[in-house]
Amino acid sequence: MRKLSFMVFSTIIAFALLLSACASAATSAPAATQATGSTPAPTTESLSGNISISGAFALYPMMTVWAAEYTNINPNVKFDVQGGGAGKGMTDTLSGAVDIGMISRAIKPAEEAQGAYWVAVTKDAVFPVVSAQNPVAADLTANGINQATFNKIFITGEFKTWGDVVGKPEVKDAIHLYTRSDSAGAADTWALFCGGKVQADILISAIGVNGEPALVDTVIKDPLGIGYSNLNSVFDATSGKLVAGALVPPIDANKNGKADADEYFQSKADAVSAVSSGKYPSPPARFEFLATKGKPTGLTLAFLNWILTDGQKYLDAAGYVPLTPDQQAESLAKLK
Amino acid sequence: MIKKHWARRHIEEAFVKGLMIVSFALVAGSLGLILWTVIVRGLPALTWDMVTQSPQGGFYMGKGGGVLNAIIGSLYLAGGGTLIALIVSLPIALYLETYLGNSEWGRFVRLALDVLWGIPSIVYGAFGFAVMIAIGLRASLLAGIIVLSLVELPIMVRAMDEVIRRMPTDLEHAALALGSTKLEVALRVVIRQMLPGIVTAVLLAFGRGIGDAASVLFTAGYTDRIPTSLLRPTASLPLAVFFQLGTPYPEVQKRGYASALILTLIILIISLGSRLISARLNRYTVK
Amino acid sequence: MNGSNQTLTIESRNETEGRQNRPSAASRRGRDRTARKAFLVITLLPLFLIVLMAISLILRTWPILRVHSLAELVFGMTWKPDNGLFGFWPFITGTIWVTVVGVLLAVPACLLVSLYLSEYAHSTTRSIAKPVLDLLAAIPPVVYGVWGLLAIVPFVEKVLAPLSKRWLSSIPIFAVNQPTGFSILSGGIVLAVMIAPLIISVVYEILATVPNDLRHASLAVGATKWQTIRQVVIPQVLPGIVAGVVLGASRALGETIAVLMVVGNVARVPTSIFDPAYPLPALIANNYGDMMSIPLYDAALLGAALVLLIVILIFNIISTLVLQRMLGRKKT
Repeated sequence: MRKLSFMVFSTIIAFALLLSACASAATSAPAATQATGSTPAPTTESLSGNISISGAFALYPMMTVWAAEYTNINPNVKFDVQGGGAGKGMTDTLSGAVDIGMISRAIKPAEEAQGAYWVAVTKDAVFPVVSAQNPVAADLTANGINQATFNKIFITGEFKTWGDVVGKPEVKDAIHLYTRSDSAGAADTWALFCGGKVQADILISAIGVNGEPALVDTVIKDPLGIGYSNLNSVFDATSGKLVAGALVPPIDANKNGKADADEYFQSKADAVSAVSSGKYPSPPARFEFLATKGKPTGLTLAFLNWILTDGQKYLDAAGYVPLTPDQQAESLAKLK
Repeated sequence: MIKKHWARRHIEEAFVKGLMIVSFALVAGSLGLILWTVIVRGLPALTWDMVTQSPQGGFYMGKGGGVLNAIIGSLYLAGGGTLIALIVSLPIALYLETYLGNSEWGRFVRLALDVLWGIPSIVYGAFGFAVMIAIGLRASLLAGIIVLSLVELPIMVRAMDEVIRRMPTDLEHAALALGSTKLEVALRVVIRQMLPGIVTAVLLAFGRGIGDAASVLFTAGYTDRIPTSLLRPTASLPLAVFFQLGTPYPEVQKRGYASALILTLIILIISLGSRLISARLNRYTVK
Repeated sequence: MNGSNQTLTIESRNETEGRQNRPSAASRRGRDRTARKAFLVITLLPLFLIVLMAISLILRTWPILRVHSLAELVFGMTWKPDNGLFGFWPFITGTIWVTVVGVLLAVPACLLVSLYLSEYAHSTTRSIAKPVLDLLAAIPPVVYGVWGLLAIVPFVEKVLAPLSKRWLSSIPIFAVNQPTGFSILSGGIVLAVMIAPLIISVVYEILATVPNDLRHASLAVGATKWQTIRQVVIPQVLPGIVAGVVLGASRALGETIAVLMVVGNVARVPTSIFDPAYPLPALIANNYGDMMSIPLYDAALLGAALVLLIVILIFNIISTLVLQRMLGRKKT
């Protein structure tokens, strides 16, 4: 029995080692799974095939709308859309696991080097958020906050009290900083705006909240809180007004020390038009991209072309910012 | 006449007994609270559409649709996983009982199974993900089924083993005395005796599989369509809940609660069903 | 007594009824042998699985161990994968804090409940308790998470935190440093309810191994039930109770989704139970999407999974061995 036990045991170990060795050998040759979306299907009436998409949660709701509408026009096209974050979208696209990646941040040079090809399909923006009950709310809405100040709040931590922010040293209320604890394109964009940084550079003492709605919720509850969020989380989807209890402090873009009328947003419409016209600084306004590995072809190309033409009309209702005709043309040119 | 004298130890006992009852109430009350919370917050958003439709365009912004994709996806995932786990568990449970019994090897295998039982599903998910990358398998229904079967295996074997160990051994001895081989004893006597236990084990594992998010997170992906192929991603109820709660739209969050309610109801039905079925099947066992 | 032609042995019956109706003893034994081998192979699969899991996770973690020392990884305080900084210390401490709070909250109540069910309760109470515990154990983690989000987080935020601020603010471990309910305490409460059925059922089974004679003897000399429990029953099975608690702790260590939804997910070493934390399972779950896009990130995260696996393996093996020995006293 002893000998049998020993033999059995060593067989198991040997087998497991063998299998794992094979597995790790296979890893060094990255698995290139064929992207099914590149099945050539040129004629518009008979488009068929599968398109798989993954990526930023920021684009996810919009993509499901686009997918549904496209399927209405071309019933034989099937979509698989997943979230997972911008990072996942890029990884999946580059590895061939999906056809299109939804990327809510700028494409990194390293990703471009690996073959990422992208087009802008909509504009979105990240907005700063404070509680409507902030002690210095009046000052904030009157004078706004400029980018250098945001840098000192979010990145360097030089400003620790609300008094610092509005230039009133007698106000000693501490700033409660909130950020996204999950990997978020919005966080990257905001950090970029504040000081040319990335999400990881936001003050380590900032309280991480997982997920955007939770972040906005938390800031609303904390009179001394400040955070950032996408358009859709601060403005109510149906009424277009600010979510109850939230306040978007104006970004003093022209640095004149005052919040001009077009810098202060109280409704979604205001915000959208500022982003669309370019008045709202970019960053934190940003283009949202769809990325493919290499130049898209076939069904994927057809879909992307559609998004940039007919698809644009669905953006407004969904609360996203449509591209201007120039921006559209630019993206379409990239696809040719 | 003996006067009742409240010694300190009696007071101590009454005190402790009180604490015990409070604790029991706490635990039972937690169950009630959980069910209450989920029902109260989930029921308002639980519409017929939720259960019969997949997400339509704009679902994640509050427009139409439901979580049928996730319901069916979860049923496929847990169904496939449970089936594979069953095929592997039954021989193991039978082998343990009829051939290994309480021998050293038997205890060793049981130890291994208990250890596997204790490994959290996130580790199974991470392992599954590592293997998937290595062999080039994409996030898909198949990958999710395989990982789930790994998660469910120890649960099923453990449950079956518990049942087998409680069985009176007289039946087996009688069969052996009549000249049956151990295999025949296993197939003809033990399985029949075990039938309620098998059903309970299967339903237990199925319930666990349908509710597990951490293992399918990396391996099954997500999609808004009802799964039609083993090699494409599939939605699952736990992930549906998770994602819906992560959107900024209150209507969608409420639907997340409703999806959690759907999941809870499925579990309740399984729990209840397992009791009823095993009670019925006890007809076939010898006491 | 009668002629041998009257006696039917199994073999001769075969000849009368036809070989095809009854397999021979030899073929039945043959089938038994084949089945034995087949079942043996299948039974070895679980063992194989554990080894395979450990090895594959080790292999995937290896790349990061070549670049950073183990000490750097374990005790490093900064987590910035973009910059190649993989300090796990905040996550390790976060995991420990949440698990300890969960276990501390669960154990007293669970022990009391098991003792109650084992020593005091009527059979009716016991028959209610079983479905209740089974149901608690069957509720999916994500539903616990939703409950935590809807009931526990607000409770901590609006009731417990203000209370602590008022009465316990001088004790650092109860300091309230942030306004939300997303905290170790919330995670601990949810975990406590999740591991309760496990601890209760294990301890209950342990208590059942104590022979009733012992209890009766103690009662016969005039001890109260509680005295009996405290001085006779529990000392008999103390290692088993500890093993049960350790088992519960290892379950709490690995719980991912429910904790993730309520614990705040902030990568800082906690100083108070009202602080948020970022346990290892949550780290893995939240960041798996980025795994492949940043160098060494996958090795780091799978390394975290490996650490979890090893710790839980150790806890599980030790407690299962203890329990096997204690419960083995029962029949079979």
